[in-house]
Amino acid sequence: MLQEAQAVASGISGADIALAAKYIAAGLCMGIGAIGPAIGEGMAAAHALDGMARQPEMQGALMRTMVLGQAITESTGIYSLLIAIVLLFVV
Amino acid sequence: MIKGIFEQLSESLLHLGEKQIITFHLGSLQLQFDKVAMIMSWIVMVLLVLLALYLRRALQQGIEDKPNRVQAALDALMDLLQGQLTSNFSSERLAHELFPFISTLFLFVLFSNWLGVIPGLSSPTQNLNVTMGLALMVFVVSQVLAMRAKGMKTYWKGFLEPVPFLLPLNIIGELSRPMSHAFRLFGNVLAGTILTTVVMAKFAPIVIPSILNMVFGLFFGAIQAFVFAILAVAYINVAVES
Repeated sequence: MLQEAQAVASGISGADIALAAKYIAAGLCMGIGAIGPAIGEGMAAAHALDGMARQPEMQGALMRTMVLGQAITESTGIYSLLIAIVLLFVV
Repeated sequence: MIKGIFEQLSESLLHLGEKQIITFHLGSLQLQFDKVAMIMSWIVMVLLVLLALYLRRALQQGIEDKPNRVQAALDALMDLLQGQLTSNFSSERLAHELFPFISTLFLFVLFSNWLGVIPGLSSPTQNLNVTMGLALMVFVVSQVLAMRAKGMKTYWKGFLEPVPFLLPLNIIGELSRPMSHAFRLFGNVLAGTILTTVVMAKFAPIVIPSILNMVFGLFFGAIQAFVFAILAVAYINVAVES
């Protein structure tokens, strides 16, 4: 049993471990990094909908402000996406 | 046959993100250009010029005449640009002055994003240099307008407020705006392209990529162009006011 494990382990090089770490890091980066923007954008949309239900005549202005706020909220998600892309394709 | 398509597409996945750089030597100066981004930008510019020449025909019509189709298209476009984008400026004067700049920015980004939908062509906005150039343009315009609106002395003093100790933080805050402005557009467009290419090469080469192209290229492309222009308006507003 121990010998088999050693035989498998001796076949794994440092490059393999680095490759595995790269993919795991990219997945974690995207998965955890997407939580914040998702919650934030959902909250922005929810409150904008509240406002639209109360004052339908404000729909245009609310929509514009909502999209702007969501675009700014999204930037943290975009940063983690860029890091994931760099990990996958560049490093 | 299907297997052949898969192999060909997998081949294209290997070349994803590869750049073809042309280098010019000007004395000791070395100028490097990305071939794809430059050609695609030129295509977008040609498209915009052709569109402008086509829409110009509407202006030759008298005011009393019944509007024709070209004039209706021009009206709709101007209505969109004026009503949605430049109406957000804090003052009438700014809106009047910056209308050409903001609408050109919007149309260029919109057509760049839509260009990626056509097979064989790619969006120039999936190159960070292009988006960074656009964002730096907005940055310079906002700073110059802030200097003009506040006067040189107040402008430079603004970096020392509320306490002089915060000077580095203020400078970083100013510089992070064009960075996030450029990265947002670049990241969105690049993510759409990568997702479409990966799905095309690995899972389903025929029907699903066209739907993905529609969503990422046309819908998100239009939203991102709108967001880019409206953020430029917001940044200029903040720089002039505060």
